[in-house]
Amino acid sequence: MRLYQVVFKDILRRKKRVLYAALGVIIATMTVVGVLTIALAGQARIYDQLEKYGANLSIVPATRSLDTGLGDLTLGTVTVGDNYISANRLPQIRKITDDLIRQYRDDAPNGNIATIAPQLLIQAEVKGTSVILAGIEPQEELAIKSWWQVSRGEFIKGDNQAVVGSIAADLLKINIGDNIPVNQANVTVSGILDATGSGDDYRIFVPLALLQQSFNKEGMISTVDIRALCNGCPVELIAAAINKDIPGVRAVAVKQVAATEMGMLDKINKLMIALGGITLIVGMFGVVNTLLTSVHERIKDIGIMRAVGASRNQIIKAFVIEALIIGIIGGLTGYAAGTLLAYVIGPLIFEGTTINLVPLYLPIAIGLAVVIAILATLYPAYHATKIRVADSFRSL
Amino acid sequence: MLEIKRVSKIYGHGSAAVTALNDVSFEVKKGEFIAIMGPSGSGKSTLLNIIGGLDRLSKGEIILDGQRLDNLTEDELVNIRRGKISYVFQQYHLLPSLTALENVLLPLTFAGIKDKDLRALELLEGMGLGKRAQHKPNALSGGEQQRVAIARALVNDPLLTLADEPTGNMDQKTGKEILDLFGQLNSEGRSIIMVTHNREAAERAKKIIILQDGQIVDQILN
Repeated sequence: MRLYQVVFKDILRRKKRVLYAALGVIIATMTVVGVLTIALAGQARIYDQLEKYGANLSIVPATRSLDTGLGDLTLGTVTVGDNYISANRLPQIRKITDDLIRQYRDDAPNGNIATIAPQLLIQAEVKGTSVILAGIEPQEELAIKSWWQVSRGEFIKGDNQAVVGSIAADLLKINIGDNIPVNQANVTVSGILDATGSGDDYRIFVPLALLQQSFNKEGMISTVDIRALCNGCPVELIAAAINKDIPGVRAVAVKQVAATEMGMLDKINKLMIALGGITLIVGMFGVVNTLLTSVHERIKDIGIMRAVGASRNQIIKAFVIEALIIGIIGGLTGYAAGTLLAYVIGPLIFEGTTINLVPLYLPIAIGLAVVIAILATLYPAYHATKIRVADSFRSL
Repeated sequence: MLEIKRVSKIYGHGSAAVTALNDVSFEVKKGEFIAIMGPSGSGKSTLLNIIGGLDRLSKGEIILDGQRLDNLTEDELVNIRRGKISYVFQQYHLLPSLTALENVLLPLTFAGIKDKDLRALELLEGMGLGKRAQHKPNALSGGEQQRVAIARALVNDPLLTLADEPTGNMDQKTGKEILDLFGQLNSEGRSIIMVTHNREAAERAKKIIILQDGQIVDQILN
């Protein structure tokens, strides 16, 4: 017979007491797992939201003066004039961007990484009203402006199609299937966009090549939006490299908002982990208390073990084995309860969040619970070794 | 084999001091069966606890097999309990979560001795408990529990077995069976010191030491 078998049998006899001791560990572990699971889901949710901010980077000619925006963000001033970015710069911009992302992200895929959406902006008269025509690469633009919804009709599919911002469509009374003259060409309206609350609502979007041709602006671009497609990508470095290597353009990193949001989440995470830590300590005191009571209850058993040859180390070892068992039970149950807690509370904190089981937290939960249980056991175990055999029998 | 030299035990200090043992000396030879008798509070259990290292003396010396026991540290005493001295208590003191066999094996577990299940089972069979080996203490009668406790005290082959009122909790018939068992163990050459306040029980021993108020007042040879 081994010492651990003696401990197992003793635990089986004192099931309720041991479960009660485990309860402190369970609550502590549950809180930490719950907090971490919710925080992780919240982070994913915020990353998801940040994706919708659109571009991480915006490139404009070095001297411009026209207000322009992306989503809800004002990105600076762009003047529609003779000052353009040459389309020849696009491969260079792509290379700088993709190379830097690759340096920072080992998991970056081969081929093109960043979405690069050039725009040509031209002010023109449509139905007697001055309006901005935006020449776009339809798929790239849609990839960056993931919030765009076509409320009527469909998005640009052919070379001669256009989509119209919601306010522009209202003001100009444009409908699906209408023909709009674009200088020397004609486009057919294929869709009307949902309101976005941005400058896009006032614009008419046509294929870039068509706009360039009809206004004789081949190879000319007013602005380039870039989405690096990853959070934590070095957008400031990319902007700096573009500003350094490509003359005549100004690259602006659109990261401030994201950084603020992530900074806030980081603070919330720290607060939650601090709360979890406090719960851990409170839980540990609960375990210490229960185990001290348990030592008192087992004073006779400890005396018997000492009388038949148990050393102090063996008594401590018996307590540590018990702590391991409490820790494993506490860790497993705490993980399950914490995940459940996250399922219930998570969506209330981060609206629309999907809580996922995080298998990585299971070993962490068990490890944490075992450490708490062992730490909580040390004092009671030490106390147990101080019991004198004769006293333990006399106290009965 | 065992020398008790001028042993005193005083509880408390100053005016609150109580003398439990006062200048007690005697010897136990190998294979001897000694009974310590006396009324309640005469110090007989204290003496037994001090001999076994379960309690500390205030003055005097205890020498077992040439080794002084009274000045050993708690950790050194563990080795004495693992092979030289064993105990049988009035309350049996079996672990309730273990079976009879496991209780007998317990001293071997702590001494790190494995594969002695057969020896433990033989001891139990020798005491007529072969069929009760897998029962837990709460399923055993008082006499059976005490026999398990005796088997546990013998499994390590100790030099000396100390028994504190081993029949104190039993009816006359069961008590007699246990005393017979001690007699038999002594005839096999085992050294035993038994504390009792029962004259009949004491008469099984070869020598009776009478304690009163912490002092030896008489020694009777049977």
